[in-house]
Amino acid sequence: MAKSDDCMHILQGLLVFGNVVIGMCGIALTAECIYVVSNPHGAYPLLKATENSDIHAAAWIGIFVGLALFALSILGIIGVIKASRTLLLVYIILMVITFAFEMASSITAATHQDSLTPNVFLKQMLERYQKSDPNNNSDNEVTKTWDELMHQNHCCGVNGPSDWQEYTSAFRGTHSDADYPWPRACCVLDAKGLPVNLDGCKLGVAGYYNRNGCYDAMSGPVNAHAWGVAWFGFAILCWTFCVLLGTMFYWSGIEY
Amino acid sequence: KVGPAPALTKQPLEGLTTASTFVLDQPRCVFKDFGNAVIWLVVALAKDAPAFNNSAGPGTPETAFQSFPEPVSAYMTLNATLGSYPCIEPPRDITVLRVGSETSCAKDVSRPTCNGPLPGPGPYRVKFLALEGSVPVAETDWSMPITLRTAKSPSSLSTAGSGHSAGMIAITAILSILLAILLAALVAMLVFCSSDSCGSSTFSKPDSVSVRRYNTHHVYDQAAARL
Repeated sequence: MAKSDDCMHILQGLLVFGNVVIGMCGIALTAECIYVVSNPHGAYPLLKATENSDIHAAAWIGIFVGLALFALSILGIIGVIKASRTLLLVYIILMVITFAFEMASSITAATHQDSLTPNVFLKQMLERYQKSDPNNNSDNEVTKTWDELMHQNHCCGVNGPSDWQEYTSAFRGTHSDADYPWPRACCVLDAKGLPVNLDGCKLGVAGYYNRNGCYDAMSGPVNAHAWGVAWFGFAILCWTFCVLLGTMFYWSGIEY
Repeated sequence: KVGPAPALTKQPLEGLTTASTFVLDQPRCVFKDFGNAVIWLVVALAKDAPAFNNSAGPGTPETAFQSFPEPVSAYMTLNATLGSYPCIEPPRDITVLRVGSETSCAKDVSRPTCNGPLPGPGPYRVKFLALEGSVPVAETDWSMPITLRTAKSPSSLSTAGSGHSAGMIAITAILSILLAILLAALVAMLVFCSSDSCGSSTFSKPDSVSVRRYNTHHVYDQAAARL
């Protein structure tokens, strides 16, 4: 019996340790998802305009899952120490449900990130940038966001200024190609917001226009948020899986 | 005939050709023997270039930009004297000619020599023509055909995702398998243990060190017998 007692103590210790880690990770997940939800990056209005804000759904689920994990881990620690069959059964069932929710959140975040290809932003930019309809607030948001993006990151278009040449756009409809091969926001601007050298910008002389595309600057923060939610959730779930299997084995060995 | 034929500039410019403009090298040191001449640029559709008559005068309705390409088959613009194209190449300036840059006079028939935006993708051919008075004294060859850019419609962009990334597939597959294993283990645990075959002697509860009292038939009989 001594040997079983040792096994039991070791398993209890491992389970308590596992639950402590789950509790801490739950808090961390909640903190991370609150950060993602409350800290929209500069390109967030563009994401909103694509009507694809799955990342927010995933983050909201993540907040609640994190809190649930913390609460359940406390329940688990109590159940393991008292070796109570009922407590542990409740713990296991609730944990499986939480596992399923976190799985949904993680997969949603990963899928969302895949769906944001450059073409999505390119099409939106071509169709809505400087679309001169003063009643449409969403288009004005898109225009303002793009202007700020191009100004702050010294970039032009999604892939480069050639976007404006290769495709027709709402912008092209109101601005002639000879005067505006690309928007003025693509030019290097001085402190007053005027192009440093307008002819140089129109010709495309290096140094007077922004040559790079904005996709890298945009997708960086978006990807960071999505991968943070997706992969951290995945890591927590792998650890939870092990702890749950251990708990089931422990539960099946408790005398009642 | 003089000098090299006009060509798109070799400088690396993003706007080398746009939908309605293109950029040529300046004809420096080409007309150096014709100090009195005015140098004009003749622009024509590639198919109409051979038909151009050098004696056509600039600024006339037959060579007006505003009537290009129908009925005018070639127009003359960008007039300059030799002073604008000196032989010395300035080291750092950009010395190019942008054809199509003047939008203000594009519809103004009082400016027939307007350097207006080109009406279509072309292809176009250009040449330089030096006139003294109205007498052509020198010209270059016609350039190679220059085709401008055509813009596609954005609805041709496919916004479908480029398939699923390896990471997303890995997450989905592994998590699904883990969930399935968990559910199977949960069901097995409940079924297996509902028949009282687990928990018998593996682990003992921490506070169950009690001794059962055994009341057998004997004790009651003996007690009754003593009384």
